[in-house]
Amino acid sequence: MELIVALGLIVFKVALLIAMLLLLPLPLTWLERKIAGHMQQRMGPMRVGWHGLLQPVADGIKLLTKEDHIPAEADRFLFKLAPILALAPPFVVFVAIPFGETVSVLGNEISLYVSNMNVALLFVFAVIGLEVYGVIFGGWAANSKYAVLGSLRTCAQMISYEIPMGFAVIGVVMLAQSMSLLDIVRAQADVWNIVYQPVGFFVFFVAGLAEAQRIPFDLAEAEGDLGAGFHTEYSGIRFAFFMVSEYVIMLLVSVLSVILFFGGWNGVLIPLPPLLWFALKVAFFVYVFMWFRFTFPRYRYDQLMAIGWKVLLPLSMANIIITGIVFS
Amino acid sequence: MSRAWDRTGTWIGWAFFSDLSNALALTLGYMFSRTVTMQYPDKEKWLPYSRYRGHHFLKRDEEGEIKCVACELCARICPCDCIEVVPYEDERGNRRPAKFEIDTARCLFCGLCEDACPADAIALGQQYEFSSFSSRDLVIGRDDLLTKPGKAATGGGVVAARLDTKKDVLVEASEPQGYNWWRNIRRT
Ligand code: SF4
Ligand code: SF4
Repeated sequence: MELIVALGLIVFKVALLIAMLLLLPLPLTWLERKIAGHMQQRMGPMRVGWHGLLQPVADGIKLLTKEDHIPAEADRFLFKLAPILALAPPFVVFVAIPFGETVSVLGNEISLYVSNMNVALLFVFAVIGLEVYGVIFGGWAANSKYAVLGSLRTCAQMISYEIPMGFAVIGVVMLAQSMSLLDIVRAQADVWNIVYQPVGFFVFFVAGLAEAQRIPFDLAEAEGDLGAGFHTEYSGIRFAFFMVSEYVIMLLVSVLSVILFFGGWNGVLIPLPPLLWFALKVAFFVYVFMWFRFTFPRYRYDQLMAIGWKVLLPLSMANIIITGIVFS
Repeated sequence: MSRAWDRTGTWIGWAFFSDLSNALALTLGYMFSRTVTMQYPDKEKWLPYSRYRGHHFLKRDEEGEIKCVACELCARICPCDCIEVVPYEDERGNRRPAKFEIDTARCLFCGLCEDACPADAIALGQQYEFSSFSSRDLVIGRDDLLTKPGKAATGGGVVAARLDTKKDVLVEASEPQGYNWWRNIRRT
């Protein structure tokens, strides 16, 4: 009986998580377009629903009913596989992400995470690394020059930025003496990691921007020179998969920034429910992502590589050494 | 010395991302400034100035008689050759247009016809909403031209409006002026 309840709880949590992650891109696209509009003194979507609130729904219906086109020369199997490969890893990662300690529902303590792995951080980076397969396969299978160029760029970009990203969080792991995300947040109860690890955060966030393929590092889908990059040839629901995965990764990088550097659900000054604190911080980072997108131009490809290898990597290594000396 | 100082200052600024943060501050400022979008045709509509050259209209004199004397000067001067005038003599012996057609699909709204007219009979008014699915509908005859709206009295403002897909875009507001659109533009 115990087992069945525990199992049921996990299934319920996973289902809730998937539903949440699948639905969150809808308001996020609306928000992105609104923010884009207002930063350019426009209004953004206004016609569907109150202030265009139903616009994402309309877009979703449009995407679902569009022709699902596969180019004649494409590798059909890989072409169909790629969106799923791109969509799955960001969802899997969220299994290891805690959203808080516990909440009590009807007198029962329910933990706000699916699993508390002791190597959660490692798991996150390992699974996020798989994301690149969806991009490679998508670009390769479409058999189009834009898609191939886009996916080549993305591979190089993702692989080179994963390295500084991985090094940047080592400082956090050293401070918390644990790789469990839960322990990392608990270790920040008094002082957030951003105080001790400003350089680490900087490297992590910049690498995160590249990882999520957002401006200024969105070379994978540089509209100006590559059509739409690796998903040039995709349409309809398969395109929506790529879109959803992109938004979930953006969310993931925001969540990781909050957990690793901004104290997770620990609040300051104002006593709010921990979950609300967490959501507010994540929302702030999502906003920062969009803010960046509509402020900065795109880096050139060689600049991107130079930043990754010549600036971020040495910075993150220096950060590890200094952290080691100061906090040992 | 001061030059070197300046350059050092620039480098220090770059090291602390002063250029990037300036850009972020600018976009944040714009984010919370007023939008300049005119919500045409859902909610608002632009009232043109009185000098605006929109759809042509033909004028009548005090007796309600059409002013045009069918001299065909407008047809001659028109660079697009889009006016066609056929004169006739009415019962009082005046020369009047039996047929007066403007092909607004070809017209470039230069206003030369208005300048050329010796009888002050034709002018370009304030109407600008006359799109059509067929170019044949854009050939406007004499009787239609007589009913088209004239020059705007005030203009230069945005007034509330409502889209009526059956007819036209209708201006609903009673206010003659509306707000000045230029006032919303943020200048830095
Ligand atoms: S406005 Fe110019 S182009 Fe149009 S009818 Fe008059 S003269 Fe011709
Ligand atoms: S509108 Fe004026 S210029 Fe044209 S035919 Fe009539 S009187 Fe002549």
